[in-house]
Amino acid sequence: MKVLEDSGSSVALQLEGIDRSYANAIRRFCIAEVPSMAIDDVVILENSSVLYDEILAHRLGMVPIRTDLERYNLPEECDCGNPLGCHKCRVLFVLDAKGKDKVMTVTSGDLVSEDRDVRPVSESIPLIKLAAGQSVKLEAYARLGRGKEHAKWQPCTVATLTDGKKEGVFILTVESAGGLPAKQVVLKAIELLEKKLKEIQVAVGGPD
Amino acid sequence: MSKQFAASNSWVILSDLLQREGVARQHLNSYNEFVTRGLQNIADEINEVEIETVSTPYKVKFGRVTLGSPRVVEIDGSVSSILPMESRLRNLTYSAPILLEMTIEEEGLPRDTTRQHIGDLPVMVKSELCQLSNRSREQLIESGEDPNDPGGYFIIHGAERVIVGLEDLSPNKILVDAEKLAGATTYKSRVYSSVVGYRSKLELTLKQDGGINVKIPSCPVDLPYVIVMRALGIKSDRDIANAVSPKQEIQDLLEVSFDKASEAPTEKDALVYIGNRVAHGMLEEFRVKRALSTLDWGLLPHLGKTEDRRFDKSMFMGEAACKLLELRLGWIEADDKDHYGNKVIKFAGQMLADLFRTAFRNLVRDMKYQLERTGQKRGGNVVGAAIRTGIITDKLNNAIATGNWGRGKVGVTQLLDRTNYLSTLSHLRRVQSPLSRSQPNFEARDLHATHFGRICPSETPEGVNCGLVKNLALSAIISVSVPSQEVEGKLWELGAKQIRDSDEKLQVEGCRIFMDGRFLGYVDDGERLAKAFRKLRREGQINPSASVLYISPVNDNAYPRIYISLSSGRVLRPLVVVESGRPLLNPEMISKVSGGQSAWRDLVDQGTIELIDANEEENCLVAMGPEDVTTRNSHMELFPAAMFGIAASIIPYPEHNQSPRNTYESAMAKQSLGFSSPTYPISPHVRQHLLVSPQAPVVRTRTLDLLKIDERPLGTNCVVAVLSFEGYNIEDAIIMNKSSVERGMARSFFYRLYDGEAKQYLGGMRDTFEVPSAESNIRGYRGEKFYRLLEGDGVVAHESQVAGGDVVIGRTSPPRFMEEYKEFEIKGPYRRDTSVAVRPSEAGVVDSIFMTENVEGGKMFKVRVRDMRVPEIGDKFASRHGQKGVIGLVVPQEDMPYTAEGIVPDVIINPHAFPSRMTVGQFIESIAGKAAAFRGSPVDGSAFAGESIDEMEKVLRGRGFEPTGREVMYDGKTGKKFATDVFVGVVYYQKLHHMVADKIHARARGQVQMLTKQPTEGRARGGGLRFGEMERDCLIAYGASMVLKDRLLDEADKTEIYVCERCGLIAYYDAKQRKYTCKIDGDQAKISTVVVAYAFKLLLQEMMSLNIAPRLQLKDKV
Ligand SMILES: [Zn+2]
Repeated sequence: MKVLEDSGSSVALQLEGIDRSYANAIRRFCIAEVPSMAIDDVVILENSSVLYDEILAHRLGMVPIRTDLERYNLPEECDCGNPLGCHKCRVLFVLDAKGKDKVMTVTSGDLVSEDRDVRPVSESIPLIKLAAGQSVKLEAYARLGRGKEHAKWQPCTVATLTDGKKEGVFILTVESAGGLPAKQVVLKAIELLEKKLKEIQVAVGGPD
Repeated sequence: MSKQFAASNSWVILSDLLQREGVARQHLNSYNEFVTRGLQNIADEINEVEIETVSTPYKVKFGRVTLGSPRVVEIDGSVSSILPMESRLRNLTYSAPILLEMTIEEEGLPRDTTRQHIGDLPVMVKSELCQLSNRSREQLIESGEDPNDPGGYFIIHGAERVIVGLEDLSPNKILVDAEKLAGATTYKSRVYSSVVGYRSKLELTLKQDGGINVKIPSCPVDLPYVIVMRALGIKSDRDIANAVSPKQEIQDLLEVSFDKASEAPTEKDALVYIGNRVAHGMLEEFRVKRALSTLDWGLLPHLGKTEDRRFDKSMFMGEAACKLLELRLGWIEADDKDHYGNKVIKFAGQMLADLFRTAFRNLVRDMKYQLERTGQKRGGNVVGAAIRTGIITDKLNNAIATGNWGRGKVGVTQLLDRTNYLSTLSHLRRVQSPLSRSQPNFEARDLHATHFGRICPSETPEGVNCGLVKNLALSAIISVSVPSQEVEGKLWELGAKQIRDSDEKLQVEGCRIFMDGRFLGYVDDGERLAKAFRKLRREGQINPSASVLYISPVNDNAYPRIYISLSSGRVLRPLVVVESGRPLLNPEMISKVSGGQSAWRDLVDQGTIELIDANEEENCLVAMGPEDVTTRNSHMELFPAAMFGIAASIIPYPEHNQSPRNTYESAMAKQSLGFSSPTYPISPHVRQHLLVSPQAPVVRTRTLDLLKIDERPLGTNCVVAVLSFEGYNIEDAIIMNKSSVERGMARSFFYRLYDGEAKQYLGGMRDTFEVPSAESNIRGYRGEKFYRLLEGDGVVAHESQVAGGDVVIGRTSPPRFMEEYKEFEIKGPYRRDTSVAVRPSEAGVVDSIFMTENVEGGKMFKVRVRDMRVPEIGDKFASRHGQKGVIGLVVPQEDMPYTAEGIVPDVIINPHAFPSRMTVGQFIESIAGKAAAFRGSPVDGSAFAGESIDEMEKVLRGRGFEPTGREVMYDGKTGKKFATDVFVGVVYYQKLHHMVADKIHARARGQVQMLTKQPTEGRARGGGLRFGEMERDCLIAYGASMVLKDRLLDEADKTEIYVCERCGLIAYYDAKQRKYTCKIDGDQAKISTVVVAYAFKLLLQEMMSLNIAPRLQLKDKV
């Protein structure tokens, strides 16, 4: 194996001597299994904008958020057992914006997070435009989730497995959406794949 | 390069034209003309009404017609001015009062002049009468309107209705035709002579024996031609023959006609001859009188209905016969009635004029009756009291609301299509043909060469209306009528001679001149006159709408003829004038227009651009572009792509598609969801869709800019791969990327408006809005849970989640018949529940609630429910090339194929969609879309003038891609490279309004029809799914007859009936006597129970009601 590129947001690995299906499983895990943070629950306190609540909520969900896999649990794996979640499985964001005399654009930077490290990847993603007198007030809860459940939890934008120059050589390229470093996405994918394989091993009665 | 430069430049002129005139100009012009002149003319036609009273009769004379501004009269009598948006929201009619000056005249002396309100005229939105016509963009927004709304429609009881353009044969034209029937050819010459509100057809037939017969509507039999001419007062046979033509060959052919007229050699005899046929068995004096009135009123009424017009009529008859015989001799060709020069299109103004004329006549008749009954009292007030404004108001409103124009004319108006912005625009440019859709009419449906630039060659429906419903091309301009006096004057100046002033030489060698169905006279050199006429028109001395056609016949013996048309409703198109091989349009003019210093009209006024109708175009040779211009050309096209209509104009590279595909797309574009109007938050339409994230296409046409489609888009740019996908995209299905869907692609909202108003009933009772309560014994109480969302005022709460059956407007009504209940019910009459509930198969969120008051002063609620529609399996999509398909599978992104760059397609379509359809335009769009994405700027794909594919290929090559658009792709499931490269690009996809959510339906048990006890039909009524004949055949073939019995009898309308075995008729159980009874056999009856379908029982009884005795012969079941 050779690391061709590792720029943080993007990683390219040359794989040799592993099966194509195994390499592709890593790619697929990068997309669908590696958890990342995304806004999942929005409590709208006030919305007099032109966007409907459900559309605004959908837009919030699409904002990539910096993810800390160490400190946060997937809600279904968290020990709190609370359907509303706890500080280990959800992060609260607050948005409170009022339209001034000019039409203004509310961006992801206006989302105030309760956790300084869990915040939108970019501050300039437009969320909504407000005209004078319009206002939006909401609480949004971000949670960890998996890409297979909804596209907003996909940690990467690009995940490809392409043929290398030689037979049996593959190149795995992963570009992160910004929530996690690309390298971590791949590592987590491998970890999760290993875990799954282990489960199969146990299920068929093999050694632990 | 020069080709593109030139083409894109003259486009500016057309763009200016459409920007300034708007797409609904033809409606607005027609309506404005009706308001400024038409109304007055109709009032002048009647002019006065005589009131015959016992003593001193008097007259009421009509003066000036004026119109107020749009307003509403509230229930309390207060008058307030209204805007279109208020009319829509409050279900009002947007109309203005018509005021007519009336003067009472006694013994010839005018007395009292008053202005009387005679009725209300529906106001066309954005016409001169409309409040919006002179508002700026900002003011329009202020008034709650879409600033881009074209207007051109009416608002009747809150509904937007368009009077669709009606195609008609040009009136007063002599059309000759040779009809081959059973080997023999008959020659016919026809004229549809039309005067206001009245049409009379004249037909001349050249019989097999060589005689000419004349058919007039008011005469039951055909008349010999010469007799009609004599009756018109042409005394000598020579004059009759010369009226046809002084040429010997023609006169020879007339001999038979003269022989046949020998029984009526004088004018008197001819009149008696006609009189005998129109007023058989009357006194001779009366017969002659009737004959004359037949000639004055029934024959060619467009030339006048008075005695002094008979000479003109005889000359016109002469020309009709002349053309007929010239055709017989093969000197001229038969006329083509599908030629667009022989068609006019009627718009709102003309249609309303017909309607208003009859309504106004009724009003006057009614007024006369009322005033004569009132007797001696007179004066302005009395006249005012005698006017029932409802006669006009109701007639106009009802006709526009229903499309029922009387005299069998139905479907004249339609509900304005608001599916998306484009469908609205296209609807306003639609033209209907009055031809029957049940007959083939092949030629009338065909595309005709004269449609070029006038009628869209692509946009027409499929099926019965194919070719009969048309759409105006972008370059089409509808003529307005030109006053004839000034043009006539110019003709005399140019050397034309009246018929009477033409000497014999001129009558033999000259050219005949016609103006709008009148035979004006002769001129020695027709071609020169036509040239001079055009010169004057270019100099601005003759109205640009006037057209001239010079016809030099195929045979020199026939007359050359000049036709001048000044009528309204002709379809014109702008062309650049070419003089001695050089187009007059120069870059300087173009830049002035694009800079806004001058307008296209200025170019018309200075003779650079000419408006040409289909007739005049016969005299033109039009070059397609500057590089094609030769000295032979008279004109040059402005922009060839303007030959398309609104809908076809959005197709990129349409010239690369098989033509029916463009037709299909023209139909589908009108069904695609988009951003129909920025007024969507308050749009009062019953059904409305909204695409959440619409996009402007990256591969565009110039028309998109022009029509401002970018501001009201109707689709999404998608990455599309052409690939089969595990059979889930066979038969035109498409695969959609689940992640794309989750990211919001093609997400839309569906809105449905529920409304309820509080009516007032006789006796002062009224509906009330309330939460119906269980305690107050309300009839039809639905159960508490259905009312749970209602608030105190009886209306559902904002943003509440509603499902089928939930009440959104709680309302109770007084009992229907007060008396009915008193006897039986102690508690007195119950109120009824007349609440409005969400449709059974729908759900959503309460979007907006409007509370207003209707004209009757009743409170009115409108509740709009929205439902988010995320693409799902079965939803219909289409590209802009007539390639439609439903979603066959929504695939997780990790399973989708990917390119080496990691691009995962949004949509995968099947390669089999292409070979037979030949939509090469979609391939080019795909490549161009990809190039546009790389270079970061849109691609122009306008028809005939789009950016070339070579350019796109260059961009792709520069980015390291194959110029063919093909790429290496990997299977997402295995990571394996596909054996072949895959064609991937960016294509604009439209979501069509056929969605699974609106159609999905299943039923186990449910409602049955009252009459037949069979399951109801249709989803809205929770109906059953028909187990039809073919399904029945399957079960029989399979030998599963018991299943058949189960489906069609046991689980359907199974019934037991009693049958008397003796008489075979239906018997019954008499509950009082507790015995089975047969009325026929009485005590002898032997009654058995029989199981039949209820529908069969019904059949027996229906037959009995028709006096048929259906007898059943019973046998024991073995
Ligand atoms: Zn937790």
